[in-house]
Amino acid sequence: MATVRGCNLPDDLYYNVENNVWARKEADGTITVGMTSYACSLAGEIVSYTPKKVGKEIEQNKSVCTVESGKWVGPVKAPVTGEVLATNPDVAAKPGNINADPYGSGWLVKMKPSNWDGDSGGLVTGAGVANAFEVKMNADGFGGC
Amino acid sequence: MSQTWRLLDTGLRSAAHNISLNRALLEARAAGESPNTLRFLRFTPCALLGYHQSAAQELDLEYCQAQGIEVQRRITGGGAIYFDPGQLGWELYVGRRDLGLADMEAISRRLCELAASGMRGLGVDARFRPRNDIEVAGRKISGTGGIVEGDALLFQGTLLLDFDVERMLRVLRVSAEKLSDKAMANARERIVTLRELTGDVPALSRVQEVLVEAFAEGLGVAFEPSGLISEEEERWGAALQEVAQPGWIHLVEKPPADRSLCHATQKFPGGLVSASVDFDAAGERIKQVWFSGDFFVAPRRAVMDLEAALRNTSLERLESTVANFFATHEVDCLQFDPVNFARIVRQALGVVPQVAA
Repeated sequence: MATVRGCNLPDDLYYNVENNVWARKEADGTITVGMTSYACSLAGEIVSYTPKKVGKEIEQNKSVCTVESGKWVGPVKAPVTGEVLATNPDVAAKPGNINADPYGSGWLVKMKPSNWDGDSGGLVTGAGVANAFEVKMNADGFGGC
Repeated sequence: MSQTWRLLDTGLRSAAHNISLNRALLEARAAGESPNTLRFLRFTPCALLGYHQSAAQELDLEYCQAQGIEVQRRITGGGAIYFDPGQLGWELYVGRRDLGLADMEAISRRLCELAASGMRGLGVDARFRPRNDIEVAGRKISGTGGIVEGDALLFQGTLLLDFDVERMLRVLRVSAEKLSDKAMANARERIVTLRELTGDVPALSRVQEVLVEAFAEGLGVAFEPSGLISEEEERWGAALQEVAQPGWIHLVEKPPADRSLCHATQKFPGGLVSASVDFDAAGERIKQVWFSGDFFVAPRRAVMDLEAALRNTSLERLESTVANFFATHEVDCLQFDPVNFARIVRQALGVVPQVAA
């Protein structure tokens, strides 16, 4: 578990740091995708969530869902290319769940990656997570979660 | 030497043209093709949904069709609005790091404060009101919203030079349910235009000038007028096709029945108060609330400021938001207990509050 400027960033996840998204590799080869606690802190309370439809193929770094907070709309970019397998009905009912539990019940979509090994090379995991986010937060001028 | 940003005036256009330009200009900025830009725009009559809203839920689509009012979906957030040539749109397309702020709420505040300072150049006391409004004496004169795309963002606002309140009430479904003299009076009390404040509609060029000056000074940049670049023209063509698809207008579909406008009226010690609450029952969220009645609150604008503070508030935070509002604003209520504002909302929603013994 890494904590950077008060933001919790579990180091067993795979991050696209620039896009502020995480992916978790599940045992069955699928992935779960969500926003980082840092992204949640920047956005404030999330009030709307519109995921892409189940069955849709999303390219890496293209929007897999859209969220809204305080009238700001933000796309959440797919960390790897793949098909949307599931969206989160609890988040659809209460988008504030994303802020409350960004790495747990606030997940955004589940995907079936088409080429995890090829696409995940640019994602950061393990020991590199803390430093990568420290650099981003510094560039963004971010005070802390 | 200060940076030079582009000043782009795209004039009076249809909603489809304007929205597809939003997409094209933002994408081009995010791709590093185009410069930071201040854009002015105007609309032929249209109803614009917020990105996450449902047309059937928000708009009287039959009325829009009969009146030739174009329906479009913004790429930015917030609520549905009616637009016609009496309003000026202003937009900033900027690199996120060029503003020196990370937090989205702080960005909204900064840009609204700059726009408000420009409006004050027209002789009106415009002020930012959290989270996204610009108001004059409590009455809204400008609403705003934004979208983030990679390292770029688009922040856009309206400015009411002139406005047809009755038409807005007819276009917006929820308010149309109660299209009465009282509803009209309530809406008129909450919205204000430059025409009403200054006695005339100021020249568009003058309005643009004060906004340009305020953004230039506040952001420490100079503005140079120029047109679209070829990459933007190309992206615009593709975006125009996308927003013309029915799938775009109906991107989000929710049944009208899932949205309810609830009312309650009660006499409390110190006065009679009514609340109309636009409530998202599935999400347990107050979308908007309007208070009226016969109770003493001074200044009177506090009622409208409280309504703004309650916008998009989860129900569980109703009481704390009301309490926090009265703890941080100087409001004189005489005999009327401010807690009653929360009580009447709960009553409207059919949840009778527990009154402490």
